[in-house]
Formats: sequence, structure tokens, C-alpha cells
Amino acid sequence: MLERTEIVRTEGLTKRYGSLTAVADMNLVVYANEVFSFLGPNGSGKSTTVGMILGLVRPTRGRATVFGHDMAVDAWPTLKRIGAVIESPAFYPYLSGYDNLKALAITLGDIPKGRIDEMLELVGLSSRGGDAYKTYSLGMKQRLGIASTLLRDPDLVILDEPTNGLDPAGTREVRELIPRLADEGHAVFLCSHLLHEVEAVSDRVAIVKRGRLIAEGTVQQLLGRGQYLRMRSADNEALARALGGVDFVRGVDHIDGYLRAEAPVDRAAELNQLLAGKGIYVSELSPWQVELENVFLELTGEEVT
Amino acid sequence: MSRLIAAEWFKLRKRMMTWVVGIILVALVILLYSVLWSISGRVTTFGEHNEFTAEDLRRALFLQGAVPFALEIAGSFGTILAIILAAGAVGSEYSWGTIRLIATASSGRMQLMLAKLIVVFALTIIGVLIAVLVAVVYSAIITYVNGGSDYSFVTAPWVRDQFYSYVRTIFVMSPYITLGFAAAAIGRSTLAGVGAGIGIAFVEPLVGNLMRAGGSPWKDIPNYLINSNANVITLQNKVPPALPSFGPSARDLADQHVFSVEGAAIVLAVYVVVFIALALLFYRRRDIGSAS
Repeated sequence: MLERTEIVRTEGLTKRYGSLTAVADMNLVVYANEVFSFLGPNGSGKSTTVGMILGLVRPTRGRATVFGHDMAVDAWPTLKRIGAVIESPAFYPYLSGYDNLKALAITLGDIPKGRIDEMLELVGLSSRGGDAYKTYSLGMKQRLGIASTLLRDPDLVILDEPTNGLDPAGTREVRELIPRLADEGHAVFLCSHLLHEVEAVSDRVAIVKRGRLIAEGTVQQLLGRGQYLRMRSADNEALARALGGVDFVRGVDHIDGYLRAEAPVDRAAELNQLLAGKGIYVSELSPWQVELENVFLELTGEEVT
Repeated sequence: MSRLIAAEWFKLRKRMMTWVVGIILVALVILLYSVLWSISGRVTTFGEHNEFTAEDLRRALFLQGAVPFALEIAGSFGTILAIILAAGAVGSEYSWGTIRLIATASSGRMQLMLAKLIVVFALTIIGVLIAVLVAVVYSAIITYVNGGSDYSFVTAPWVRDQFYSYVRTIFVMSPYITLGFAAAAIGRSTLAGVGAGIGIAFVEPLVGNLMRAGGSPWKDIPNYLINSNANVITLQNKVPPALPSFGPSARDLADQHVFSVEGAAIVLAVYVVVFIALALLFYRRRDIGSAS
């Protein structure tokens, strides 16, 4: 197996504000060519973690390294390789979209001529590039934010709720863009509450709650944390009792006239045979479709916002 | 660093506030010249004790006194405008949220703040220069209309003296500009910078007068404040006596036992250094972003 290139590594990253612990002992690794999604309810420490990764927020303890550089020590050589929109896109309201990117390009230096037009074209803002930023809709601001992150052709792209405010067509474009960026060699660090979006584009996911990492893995790993089978029979009570005697069934719930049994999906046929052997014949038996949203809610115990 | 300066220049040049502040300064120069020229044609005597004739006032508006009078305006009203410019250059980055954008695109926090300060000073220098040029043009018109055609005063020492007056004015404005800048950086808002800068500019003379009236040990404290020392240096600019002055007279300052010009310059320089250091220190050490 090929060794994967580490782009971001956080080790015991902790941030305290007085008695409030915003981030506690956060250990993350983001690799090249992957879309890494960072999920958590509001106030869970996502932005603070990103702030520490970018060197904007000083860790109370631990460290964040990007491309092997400690961001609390010397961020600039690394920041040149990162494109980031944190929390929400923020630009100069009196400047046009084009001039905002120009101001950023001057600050960064070494941005090829024509790159600004190229980026405006990429995000579909060419026709409005000359208009003042303050006249932009939320979706247009998001598009300009994405253009600004890609302006320097970064190795690491950090996007915070990139489809917020976008229309369906824009959302689809961004969803297509994110995996494409990973395919082109960028590492993408995506903060999002839109779990369908995360599920569709992510290679790996980390879920945080109250500043702590509570789950991390590939989307498939997280979805497979609890595998379930959905079934019903003429006598669901008898079925439930029978399931209780099966060693690989870890739990049974009654949901909407069905039974949900926590059991490996690939042992469905075996289970059916066992139940039939006990004289219970199920009328339906199928894998229970688990979505990331369910996993998120189960782990965080909070509403999706 | 040069990239940061270029970017700050680009942003402030494109900002309406920069132009509005410049236009206000030019308008003030034109307004004051117009009012005084008008007065000189309507009154027979002028001044607090009617010590000047209308002719004295008219001649004071001639070209010879144009530079110091323009600098007198810039040093008083212009300082307020420069404080607004300086505070806005930093504070707006926080109110718009662009501080994160530039912090992740800049080669260093110290460099970013210094670039902002350099551009604010550059714009102040240009603004005051434009105010002086407008005053010179207006004054030349007044001189021409009133038949004053003697330009023998334009000698190398005179030109040098005007230049020194210009440098002195910018220098005297510096503590207020850096104060507004530092307060905006520390308070993370334009309002904090404008409030501190303008507040000190207005309140300090009042408090200073109270302290002087209070006797020992209060009476000497104002000598270490910005206003007294700024007045000492500004007084070196030779504004024609018939024209209004916005600071105390030489006699008032002598009564207050203020520092020498050199001493006043050192005190003001210390303030400038302290304010810049505070701005850099706070911005460098502080987290940028939310605490979510």
C-alpha cells in the first residue's frame, strides 16, 4: 500500500478561553488528494480548530502542523499554500469582486496575470465581477469566497459551509468541484452542516462535539458503525423475542411497524435461516439504510443545524 | 512588505472615505480663505482686540503666508481627519471580517500592521500637501487680485522654512494618528480609534488647563501630554499674526513653562513609538477569529 502524504496533523490540540474549553485534545490527520470533512454542531469548536490550523488562533496546548510546519511558530511559508474561507466569506464591500481578488492577489504576490478572470469564470461571476461586493447575493459571496481560496492554486483548500446560500445549480457545481479539487492533487478540508453534501463528496469525516473529537473515519466506516437490518413478520413481538436469542444481534428497536435489528448486513441470510428454524417467518428483511445524518445525530445527540 | 504596502495602497485608494476625508480638508482650506478674504473687504479692523486693519488681514492672505496657514488648518482639522483615516484602516478590517482574509494572506502580522501605518502616513502626507497647494493657488489669486506682485520673498531660506513647517506639521499630527491607529487595533473597531484619537485631541487641552490651574503637583503634568508639546512645535510655523491661530500664543506657552522645541519633539516621538509598539504587540499576540 502506498504511503499517503500528510498535509495537516494536529496533536493534542487544545484551546481554552478562561474556564471554557473550546477545543480539547484534538488529533486529526488530513492527507493529500482527499476530501476531509469536519462536522459538528454550532459552537463545537470547528472554527477554533481551523483557526489554530491556520495559525490565527494560538493553541493553549498541543500543536497543529501543516506540510510539516508548526503553524504557531512560523505560519507564512505554509499559509502561501493554503486557500481558506473561514466561517463566512468576508471581503471589502466597496470593492468589486474583481478588485477584491486583485487586492488579495497583490497581497499574496506571484499570482499569474489572467488568474483573476480565470477564477471568476470558474465560479460563474464573470459578468458580475465589476460590481461592488456589497451588491452581491449570499450565493455570489460564497462563489467569490471559493474563487479567493483557489486564487493561489493552494495545496490545501479549507472551505467552511461552501454551499451556504447557493441555488441548486450552484450547490451542484460546488459538489462537483470539491472532489475534482482532490483529484487534481489538492487536499480539501470541508466544514459543513449539510450532511448529505458531506456524505456525497467526502473521503473521510471527523465529528466533533463540545470541542472533542468523537468519531473519525471514512464515510463507509462511520455509516457502518452500526449496521442494521429492517424486518417484520405477522407477529413482531415473537420476532423480537427470537432476535434476542441470536448472538450476533446486538439490539432491537420497534420503528414504524418494523423491527430494526443491529446486526451485520452480510449475515441477513443466516439470520433468516435461524428465525425460520424457530418457526418465525419474516415477510420483509432488508438492510436498514443508514445515512450520515443518523450517525451524526446519534453521536452528537443534537439537532442538525 | 512592498506587496502589503501596495495592497493597502490599492484598498485605501479605492475607498470612498479616503477621498471624502481629502475633499473635506481641501474644502476647509477654501472655506477659511474665502471667509477671511470676504471679511477683509467688509471690516476696517480685525482681531481679538481689533489690533489689525483690513489691509493687514488681506496682506496676511497673500502668498507669503499661504503655506503656514494651510499647515495650521491641516494641523488642527486635518489631524481629526487623519485620525478617522488611520482608525478606519484598521477598524474596518474587523467590522467587515476581512482581518482573517488578510491575516492568512500576509507575510506576517507585524508587516501587515506596519504596511497599513505606512500607507496611512503616506496618504496624510499627500493630503496635507494637496491642502497646501490649494492654499497656495487660492492665495496666489488673492495676491494677484489685490495687486500684490512682489515675489522677492521667495528665496532658498524661505522655501526651506516652508518645508520645515510642513515636516513639523506632519510630525505633530503623528502621535494622534498613531493613537487612533493603536486604539482601533486594540479595540478592534474604527469607533475605538476615532473615539480615542479625537477624544484625546479635544479633552487633553481642557484637562491640561485644569491641571495647570490646580497648582503642584498637577501643573507640570500637562508638559508631558501630547497637546502642550504639539503646540510648542506648531508655534515654530510662522503664521501671519493677522490670521486666526488654532493653538495658544507664544506668550501663553511661555507662561506655562513648557519644554523646549527639542524636548517637545522627544516627548512626541516617545508617544509615537509607544502607540506603534502597542498596536503591533496587541495585534501580534492576539487570536484572530471567533471563539466558537
